[in-house]
Amino acid sequence: MTRKRTFRRTAVALTAVSATVSLAACGGLGSGTDGGGDDGDGVVTFWHYYGDPHGVPLEAMLARYTEETGVEVEPRFIPYDDFNRTLQQQAAAGDLPDVALINAFDTSQMAQAGVIEDLSAYADEWGEQDAYYETGWETGQVDGATYGIPHLADDYALYYNEEILAEAGVEVPTTWDEMEAAAAAIAESGAASYGLAMSGIEGAEGATGVLLRTLAAGGDLADFGGDPGVAALESLQRMTASGGMSEGFLTWNEDDAMASFTNGEAGMAINSASAVNVVRENAPDMTWNVAPLPADATEATYLSAENLTIGAGSGDADAAWDLIEWMQQPSVLEEYLPERNKLPARDDVPGAVTDPVRAVFADQLVNSWAPTGDLAEKSNEALTIVQQALQAVISGSAAPADAAAEAQAAIDEALGN
Amino acid sequence: MLPAVVFVGATVVYPLLYSVLQSFYDVGLREVIQGGAQWVGLDNYIDQFSRSRFWYSGFISIVYAASSVALTFAIGLGLALLLRRDFRGRNVMRALILVAWVLPTVVSANVWRWLLDGSYGLLNALLRALEFLEGDLFWLGQQVTAIAAVVFATAWSFAPFAMILLSAGLQGIPKGLYEAARIDGASPWQQFRFVTLPQLRPVSLAALLLIFIYTFKTFDTIFLMTAGGPGGATATLPVYAYNEAFEFSRFDTASVATTVLMIVPIALSVAYFRTLRKETAA
Repeated sequence: MTRKRTFRRTAVALTAVSATVSLAACGGLGSGTDGGGDDGDGVVTFWHYYGDPHGVPLEAMLARYTEETGVEVEPRFIPYDDFNRTLQQQAAAGDLPDVALINAFDTSQMAQAGVIEDLSAYADEWGEQDAYYETGWETGQVDGATYGIPHLADDYALYYNEEILAEAGVEVPTTWDEMEAAAAAIAESGAASYGLAMSGIEGAEGATGVLLRTLAAGGDLADFGGDPGVAALESLQRMTASGGMSEGFLTWNEDDAMASFTNGEAGMAINSASAVNVVRENAPDMTWNVAPLPADATEATYLSAENLTIGAGSGDADAAWDLIEWMQQPSVLEEYLPERNKLPARDDVPGAVTDPVRAVFADQLVNSWAPTGDLAEKSNEALTIVQQALQAVISGSAAPADAAAEAQAAIDEALGN
Repeated sequence: MLPAVVFVGATVVYPLLYSVLQSFYDVGLREVIQGGAQWVGLDNYIDQFSRSRFWYSGFISIVYAASSVALTFAIGLGLALLLRRDFRGRNVMRALILVAWVLPTVVSANVWRWLLDGSYGLLNALLRALEFLEGDLFWLGQQVTAIAAVVFATAWSFAPFAMILLSAGLQGIPKGLYEAARIDGASPWQQFRFVTLPQLRPVSLAALLLIFIYTFKTFDTIFLMTAGGPGGATATLPVYAYNEAFEFSRFDTASVATTVLMIVPIALSVAYFRTLRKETAA
């Protein structure tokens, strides 16, 4: 009796399972949706990930556009951590915004996945690509087509505490050898607990410092296993061993690293221009300045940027493009960028950077590096791999050369080489 | 009956099967959005099973879950025994202990992160004051201490839950058993060993299983405290699956991890219900 009932129950369950399986097979895995945004209601939907306070100038700018042109723009803020996932889900559901302001390095991936439109026809007619810094413009290019228009730019530079450097008797370092010596001298002199602070946390964010050091030595993310990558790992290893850097930087994100700079625990820090206001607010009495990053073989810095894109299947693509074009006018940028605390992606906006501290970042833009091509699509993974190598070296579980070689093998695999 | 079937089908069965099925297809971001995923059979499993990181994630998941369960159970039992006694402020204390359970993980995990920070953390300040420590020690920056820290943080938040289950179990033990034991001259330890523990067995088994399932799938505490680091040391299967899916857009191999993640608790639950049935029959 029991056995019979169990059998019947199993049979019902199996039928339900097989029905659902066939449902699943035709529901999404096998076939697909045709994408597609709204159907052209004349309202331009605009998604971005600028939370407070960064969203305020952006939305004010969009309101100005409506005032000037009468075209309604509907902004929507989605937190950065949820942004790409929301965009992907909406793409699968065929409900994308007209304009999406995305992280520049995700442009390639979004284009390959069919989330965003090819803007080549618009961009060619517009003809302003030569006004842009090359690296920034390249992030919007996928297989020779334009998918993203740079919105703004940012890069990394060296923050330093003038009093701490003076007390330790060191000059602002201009090469990484000088940096190692300066960091150690600061820690030894007792002027601050550490010489240099940077993020080294698990994941892509923590790879910025070691990547910058690798770029300076003439290396690249795609060839991290080469001599420059090994030299970078060795350099950071020496700095933590000498006390010039805290080994706790492996647990710090960029905000943590900046906190140790603003509270005077570290004499120098590597960060982007977006931290300028944070330092001004949190340490109003500190005397500090910003210098270009130490340079060896190259003066490269790391670009951080965002691109304006149009959602696949947008019914208001023309209106969306008009908005993008308007947003990139030098006169509009000159009003917007100082409020937004960022740098222009193009070099014909002299009025956008009047602040001398921010000018240091702006001057470096011409040397900025960003992953392009296949590497752009896999940059998150490659950076995560590089951070793992850094972690292994600092914790002493691998020698720099071995860690770099292992990272290279993993990067090659990710890139499909 | 039908609404229930539809509800369960739409919210549990369908997503579950979809996820399992996804592990047999080649699914990247493009396929999720545009469809057209290719059936690849067991390729994703073969690929994942040949990776040491995958096995490490499985191993560390079990280490993390087993240690968390043991510690949670021990603390929960201690608290339950303590609160069984009648003393002033018992209810206040019980309520306070429950705060750990109701506190959102995003709050507790960040508090732990700050407490354990190597340079300004409260724990190190305390250790320095007691002269156990000189300089900095980064608990979340070293593999063994990072694992211990996430286990401790997990046990801290789950212990009140264990306490409630075990308190209920303790209340169900007939007082007469203790009286009989005392008359036979049993010491407090003997009473605990030969009356309390055997009587608590059914509740304990249920509690252990529930806590294991909860901890085995825990993502938030670990992700917020260490993001799976340092060097992947605390990358349990949920963290591994998250990275595969949402960092690297490999939804297929992420599904391999989530399928394995699902099989372990299901197998344990089946074993549990078997034992239960046997015991009820006996």
